Amino acid sequence: MIELFHVSKQYQPPQWALSDISLQVRSGDFHFITGPSGSGKSTLLKIIFREILPTEGQIVIDGVNVLKMPNHRIHELRRTMGIVFQDFRLLFHRTVFDNVAVPLQVLGQPRKEIRRRVFNTLRQVNLHNRMGDLPSRLSYGEQQRVAIARAIVNKPKIILADEPTGNLDPELAFEIISLFKEINAQGTTVIIGSHDRELIRHFGDRILFLQKGKLIRKDGS
Amino acid sequence: MNARKLKYLVGVAADSLWSHRGRNIFSATIICLSFLIVGVFLSLANNLQHVARQVSADTVVTFFLDKNVPAADLGALERRVRTSPLVAEVRVVAPGEALERFRRSFPELRDILDNLKANPFPTSLEARLKDNTRDSGKIAGFVREVRAVRGVADAQYNRDWVDRMQSLSRLARAVGFFLGGILVLASFFIVSNVIKLNVIARKNEIEILRLVGATNLFIRVPFLLEGMALGILGSLISLALLFVAVRLFPVYVGSLGALQQVLNFRFLTPSQALGLVAAGAAIGLLGSASSVSRFLKI
Repeated sequence: MIELFHVSKQYQPPQWALSDISLQVRSGDFHFITGPSGSGKSTLLKIIFREILPTEGQIVIDGVNVLKMPNHRIHELRRTMGIVFQDFRLLFHRTVFDNVAVPLQVLGQPRKEIRRRVFNTLRQVNLHNRMGDLPSRLSYGEQQRVAIARAIVNKPKIILADEPTGNLDPELAFEIISLFKEINAQGTTVIIGSHDRELIRHFGDRILFLQKGKLIRKDGS
Repeated sequence: MNARKLKYLVGVAADSLWSHRGRNIFSATIICLSFLIVGVFLSLANNLQHVARQVSADTVVTFFLDKNVPAADLGALERRVRTSPLVAEVRVVAPGEALERFRRSFPELRDILDNLKANPFPTSLEARLKDNTRDSGKIAGFVREVRAVRGVADAQYNRDWVDRMQSLSRLARAVGFFLGGILVLASFFIVSNVIKLNVIARKNEIEILRLVGATNLFIRVPFLLEGMALGILGSLISLALLFVAVRLFPVYVGSLGALQQVLNFRFLTPSQALGLVAAGAAIGLLGSASSVSRFLKI
């Protein structure tokens, strides 16, 4: 479970990027965080995976206060999460296989186990026949699926996705969110930051609305 | 960190070294040149040291006696010199033998010698020092002591030359370390900057590694390995070049007569060669560590 207590973030006074956000995301939930550009969606996600620290408030994930976690232990938190971005953040000089294998190599998994899990994950995102290709030879939709495969290969408890469909046309965007739904169906908590109303209307059952850093509405929570 | 992770990180470092081979070759070349300079001077110092050792192994002190020293005094002096712990062998050279030696050594002066009315050479004592006698201070003390004995007019020995040779050897080593030190310092900064460029080039990769839960050590190790590899590579190439130079130098200069011994380069001892490689690795590692600590904020 992810719990935020009165979380606020100020980059530069006097404006607040986030202001007094309190919420709970239960394990296995599928949440959309939405709002206009600059509403604080990305900031909220970055705070959850401790890329940045909030100015005020506390964040507890599975009973652990992540703000009290020392810097040298942040990797433990990140290993329980899969993170997906709008710009995919792939290694373009490495093959699809190598990109997806990175989290397992970080854990020092045996080569055989890496091969097995990367193949299975790529099959899940329907890219198992492109394993040896460089990402530059894939379409945007396929590149995002590689990024998703990398995020889930380690079987994380939580998936955080910041505008994962921002660079994709509507058809591909639906395909990607469907993929997230499938991952969620296997028990993974998924939180997606998106301003795409069409997608949210179609897939969103739990929606957090942000505006100027404030949580103005929670639907379905 | 387990062996699998280390293997993976070595692969990442090798991949990066190859990907940015232009600047890495430049960096290794600078390290190589720096260590080559240290190596050349070390080699020269080794050679001077060797010559000094060879000369000192054959140190002879000659004590020239006054004219008409009584036979009893000569015997006593000979006994005294012989009992010194520094002396291996003592020989009395009579004036006639000394004149004969001079004749043999300088045949062109035969006419002058023939015109002499009397033999100008005094009786002398030649004391050959033991091979393991290296202490200049002890030798000088011994010579002073014998020189003070009544009937001894003068003393002559080749120790000065040995001392000069040893000083020259120390000087060569010092110059090598000074020049090499400056260049090694330059190598340190070059490695540091090359690794900085490598860090910048792999910014995206570092970001991804952080997001998937890599530890700081996991992210830093490839850069440290790269620096170390550059240092080892540079120093190994410098040793190879030095080896070739040592082999080719005599061929290039031809015969130098007496100077051959002095200028004939000698390769480094195994411990010196190993020391240079270790120093190369250390310079690379430190240069890289300095860059990683400044530019790789995790």
